[in-house]
Amino acid sequence: MSNQKKRNFQIEAFKHKVVVDPKYAEKTWKILEHAIHEIYNHNASGLSFEELYRNAYNMVLHKFGEKLYSGLVTTMTSHLKEISKSIEEAQGGLFLEELNRKWNDHNKALQMIRDILMYMDRTYIPSSQKTPVHELGLNLWRDNIVHSSKIQTRLLNTLLELILRERTAEVINRGLMRNIIKMLMDLGPSVYQEDFEKPFLEVSAEFYKGESQKFIECCDCGDYLKKAERRLNEEVERVTHYLDTKSETKITNVVEKEMIANHMLRLVHMENSGLVNMLLDDKYEDLKRMYNLFRRVHNGLSTIREVMTSHIRETGKQLVTDPEKLKDPVEFVQRLLDEKDKYDRIISSSFNNDKTFQNALNSSFEYFINLNPRSPEFISLFVDEKLRKGLKGVSEEDVEIILDKVMMLFRYLQEKDVFEKYYKQHLAKRLLSGKTVSDDAERSLIVKLKTECGYQFTSKLEGMFTDMKTSQDTMQGFYASHPELGGGPTLTVQVLTTGSWPTQPSVTCNLPAEMSALCEKFRSYYLGTHTGRRLSWQTNMGTADIKASFGKGQKHELNVSTYQMCVLMLFNNADRLSYKEIEQATEIPASDLKRCLQSLACVKGKNVLRKEPMSKDIGEDDAFFVNDKFTSKFYKVKIGTVVAQKESEPEKQETRQRVEEDRKPQIEAAIVRIMKSRKTLDHNNIIAEVTKQLQSRFLANPTEIKKRIESLIERDFLERDTTDRKLYRYLA
Amino acid sequence: MRKEDTVKLISAEGFEFVVHKDAAMVSQTIRNMLTSPVVGSFAETQHGEVTFPEISTTILEKICKYFYWNLQFGKETEFHIEPELTLDLLGHCPFCHWMFEDKIVA
Repeated sequence: MSNQKKRNFQIEAFKHKVVVDPKYAEKTWKILEHAIHEIYNHNASGLSFEELYRNAYNMVLHKFGEKLYSGLVTTMTSHLKEISKSIEEAQGGLFLEELNRKWNDHNKALQMIRDILMYMDRTYIPSSQKTPVHELGLNLWRDNIVHSSKIQTRLLNTLLELILRERTAEVINRGLMRNIIKMLMDLGPSVYQEDFEKPFLEVSAEFYKGESQKFIECCDCGDYLKKAERRLNEEVERVTHYLDTKSETKITNVVEKEMIANHMLRLVHMENSGLVNMLLDDKYEDLKRMYNLFRRVHNGLSTIREVMTSHIRETGKQLVTDPEKLKDPVEFVQRLLDEKDKYDRIISSSFNNDKTFQNALNSSFEYFINLNPRSPEFISLFVDEKLRKGLKGVSEEDVEIILDKVMMLFRYLQEKDVFEKYYKQHLAKRLLSGKTVSDDAERSLIVKLKTECGYQFTSKLEGMFTDMKTSQDTMQGFYASHPELGGGPTLTVQVLTTGSWPTQPSVTCNLPAEMSALCEKFRSYYLGTHTGRRLSWQTNMGTADIKASFGKGQKHELNVSTYQMCVLMLFNNADRLSYKEIEQATEIPASDLKRCLQSLACVKGKNVLRKEPMSKDIGEDDAFFVNDKFTSKFYKVKIGTVVAQKESEPEKQETRQRVEEDRKPQIEAAIVRIMKSRKTLDHNNIIAEVTKQLQSRFLANPTEIKKRIESLIERDFLERDTTDRKLYRYLA
Repeated sequence: MRKEDTVKLISAEGFEFVVHKDAAMVSQTIRNMLTSPVVGSFAETQHGEVTFPEISTTILEKICKYFYWNLQFGKETEFHIEPELTLDLLGHCPFCHWMFEDKIVA
């Protein structure tokens, strides 16, 4: 039949087979009813599908659909009632098995019934808005079995009891559990939820409440977390084995709430085993567990973070304020680095490299490092120590690592300009005394500082390196043009650009005649090659190697400072000199002279001079002699000046003052820059912007900014607005 | 052709058509008959034969032809039905209804 014809034809329903037998419906139904019984009794093999199908078809066709349907409901219900009884009668453990078996039977029967009633399912049921056969079968099962008064609670209790038994480490028949739970799920989500899931969650909450209470009384934090983790995994596993996957989050939420959220603070603060102890003892595993468990609950991570932060702050504060630990700056910085390493390791191995934790760590360090105003100085001293000797024999990569760590501490500093000041001083000493171990390391650190703080920050430091290089060339040129100087003392001059180097008020001492003649020659050479320059001698910064022979003919080469050389040279012409005489002859400033004499006469094993009276300190009335008995097992003897490694209190004050002075123009420059672009701005905004601009160098003090603004007003850079006194105006 | 791969369809007059199961299962109804749950299934499933006491040989033959036609060409191609058979195909056979529902608009 072609499509074309299809449209033209309208075929009337077939009417030839008129039912004459009034008992037709009853008879046909009897056949079908019998078949349903047989199916439930596992006796279908004698039935002809074709016949049953045809009968059902005919019944529907002859408008007995209603009879067929209601007959089905009644027959099935009566079967289910019988099944219900047999399930009720099942004893103890057999109950679930029986239920499961009957459920399987019912499903099979339902399948067969649906097949023979397919025609009804497809035509009669949709048109009369009845429940389809399969669904009907499930509903009847639900109402007659699962919701039967004698089964409903028993089923729930059995299931819950089995789960409880499994929680107390018994082995249960998981396959059976899965089938029964699957049955509840097949009966519709509401059946699963109402008849199982809800009570299950309630009972679980109760169970874990009790258990967590018990654990927390007797376990330490680490053990408790282990137990909680295991419980959590068990529940997840349970879900995968026999519960609806949607239950997973619900049941884990219950465990999380009862075992973690409710005891969070107590766990974290648990005495002798809480978070702080874990941090102290580097318990990576426990910390990781805590992180992973707490992450699951609201506020969990922030709780860990807060406790960690306050712990770091507290220990850090102790570290930077403990006067004992401040004695050795290198040790002090090493401790900071160790502390940082420790927490870096914890965060990377236990806290999943969590950014928020890293930030918390950084802010904690920033907080406590700046509690100690000497931190910048100490960090610079640490670098100094490392670059002087600490890096000998260390590979290039390791040097980089150390420098990177130092840079990290540097980043925490608020007063970066103070660091710069000290760094400059220390670098100058290193360069001038030729003590720097590795030029590469020095330069690498400068590059790092440059990337961190910009060109401005390091330009002077770089200038210092350039000076050193140029000086070498100058000296070569000098000796090349004065070949006659070969025999006498050798002079090495480093020409330092004023401004690049930390300047100290230069008080020139009287150099020995041989030296001052040489210096004059250099001066005329240098000024001859460079016009328009001025040279002044920084005798306080130099060193000298001199050869000396003592009473019994022992010869030594002494490595001393320029001042010390001046003093020692005096003894070429005298055996005894009083303090006053030395002071007069050399004109070395009193404090420097005392220090220099102290190191020459009072240090055991290096006392090339002898002093009367013998005492530790230098008095104005002391007299000095060459120590003829001086011996040393080394030919070369280095006589260090007694220098304070750390700055003394007045020096510190001085540096501080210099820093403050240096800040003034920077603050002013920042104010002018801002005002130039803004034209008018109110007081608070200026303070905020200036602070922000200068943040990379130091933390500007608001009162200082205010003073600078006033100074700028006085100098007619700014004016106050005539109406609003808080508003400033830029005067071009 | 192995026996377990075939099914015997018997007409009202007793003619037997042995067809492939694949072909017979073009009819959802026959598929249901042959694939009922294994335990306690219907007689047809066990014996591998179905008797149609209300379907004449001519019609059953036509039905079998359709099975193979469908298997080979799919539902979409046109299957020729002689006009004199149409009514019988529609009216006599509860099984035809489903087979031809997309072919014949009744």
